[in-house]
Amino acid sequence: MVSEHNLVRVAEYVWEIPATFRDDMRVPARLYADEDLLRAALTDNSVVQLVNTATLPGVIKHAIAMPDIHQGYGFPIGGVVATRLPHGVISPGGVGYDINCGVRLLVSLAAVEEIKPFLEEIASALYANCPSGVGSRGPLRLSNSELDGVLHEGARWMLGKGYALREDLDRTEEFGRIPGADAAYVSARAHERGRDQLGTLGAGNHFIEVDRIAEVYDEAIAARLGIYAGNVAVQIHCGSRGLGHQVCEDYVSRFQKTVRDYGITLPDRELVCAPFDSSEGQEYFHAMACAANFAFANRQLLAYLIRRSFEQVLAGRVGDFHLQQVYDIAHNMAKVEEHNIEGHQIRVCVHRKGSTRAFGPGSSVLPDDLRDIGQPVLIPGSMGTASYVLVGTPGAMEETFGSTCHGAGRVMSRAKAKKLVHGAELRQQLKSRGILVCAGSMSGLAEEAPAAYKDVSQVVEVVDRVGIGKKIARLEPMAVIKG
Amino acid sequence: MSRVRISSVDFMSSFEEIEHTADRAFRVRGRTLAELLENAALAMSAVDGLKPGAKPSITREVKVNGVDRETLLVNWLNEILYMEQTRGEVYDRFHILEADDHHLRAQLHGGKSSSTVSQIKAATFHNLEVKQIPEGLEATVVVDV
Repeated sequence: MVSEHNLVRVAEYVWEIPATFRDDMRVPARLYADEDLLRAALTDNSVVQLVNTATLPGVIKHAIAMPDIHQGYGFPIGGVVATRLPHGVISPGGVGYDINCGVRLLVSLAAVEEIKPFLEEIASALYANCPSGVGSRGPLRLSNSELDGVLHEGARWMLGKGYALREDLDRTEEFGRIPGADAAYVSARAHERGRDQLGTLGAGNHFIEVDRIAEVYDEAIAARLGIYAGNVAVQIHCGSRGLGHQVCEDYVSRFQKTVRDYGITLPDRELVCAPFDSSEGQEYFHAMACAANFAFANRQLLAYLIRRSFEQVLAGRVGDFHLQQVYDIAHNMAKVEEHNIEGHQIRVCVHRKGSTRAFGPGSSVLPDDLRDIGQPVLIPGSMGTASYVLVGTPGAMEETFGSTCHGAGRVMSRAKAKKLVHGAELRQQLKSRGILVCAGSMSGLAEEAPAAYKDVSQVVEVVDRVGIGKKIARLEPMAVIKG
Repeated sequence: MSRVRISSVDFMSSFEEIEHTADRAFRVRGRTLAELLENAALAMSAVDGLKPGAKPSITREVKVNGVDRETLLVNWLNEILYMEQTRGEVYDRFHILEADDHHLRAQLHGGKSSSTVSQIKAATFHNLEVKQIPEGLEATVVVDV
């Protein structure tokens, strides 16, 4: 275990575990938190997991944890680790089973008052049109070549099929397509699991949420993103479904031998990895990019199904209910990026495991119309609380490889949440607060109770004050659709 | 980590759910590797909480390989999840027909799944070690949900 005594406070909200803490650490570990969040992080194994990531071959600068850090498997959730290329490693477990799990935000110019009378109908339409649950099936049946098209083209594949608007792609991380995808490295099983899952939500903490834009902190930037207080927004939180799970399983299992072949010693077998430039590392990267593209396409098809649901319910009843995309971000991903480290531009593989890319103003990878304000960052909160829109900052570029937090972060185990919370009662409580919930599983709902999570506002406050994200707007839920 | 005992039939068929903040974890034991593998499958099934629909009558046979016992254990649990999720089935009885440190052959018994959905994405290698204990073997498995 790690205790408070092992941490050195290097700034008001930045704590460091020196590389001398354990013999196998290659760099120090840094944790961004206020004192409350730090105490929460020290209650489980998440900080040990953070220290473990500081042992990966090629790790550079610091192993980093965001204020929403919590215990995962291998990496902590809320972790950022960059390895120096070409020889630094890529770790499938450092991306996780839900490759490119992420968030998409759509906003409408319709005001909450206009939509509210139809909210139950909208929630029912969303629940009927957007399949949920781990093994659920989506509306498309893809041939082998069509599925490979999705794996190579991501959300762009949806443009040709009429499921995307061109402006959706401009407002998606990597424009909806990660380069380097090669479906030859995706197993037959992964293909099989993904074939009928496009346009499905999955289970666990995944959701579709109809929100009201409760507060705007920077009106000028919010207006540039189409965000106005009092209007309706929709969030989608999901990832690459069974296809991504299988890609991760395939490579984590295979790399159990690969680490022996390369003589890599690790403190946890879930951290297995391969040098990025090795054939094994490249094969995983090609496969991971496919799964990431599948996830972009999945959220794109869900956005289409959501727009269709709004159309079904609101056409002829509400004026302008069109849903425009603010942005789509990944928070489980390994990406090749260049970062300035001690005055040198260095090519790195940035693993973000429960962390969001947060590129600041001026970044060349942002679309022209967002370059001066920075990349939109979407931070979903726990069910029934709040979510935030931020933008990336120069501080994130300098300190955290252009990364920030990804959500509230759990503090209570799923088993305990199920013991303490009754799903049907929780749904009733939320309803009494004006939040409709449609869920496939009441026990799954109980596991996601707000009490099981940290306060997302506190998490966002820390990243805003540290300067690794800038608060733009707060969203509050009106209807939640869950698997 | 604190422990939550959710089954205590007898030592070798028992498993304990271990508290885990984001995912689910359980500790299983077995007098032999085959028994450990069977108990791990039962534990995962119990943690997921799924039951086959009416008249469970499906039997599937699977073969699984791994470079060592830990990899075999994880691959076995992931094989079950793969079978369930691609065939729309739920298994609640598991019979290891043969097993050594690198291979197993097993039967899965169950039925078509009801509408209830599985929460488990995958079994992981996190801190996984199949340990020798005086009574046999023990392992703690974290599953991603």
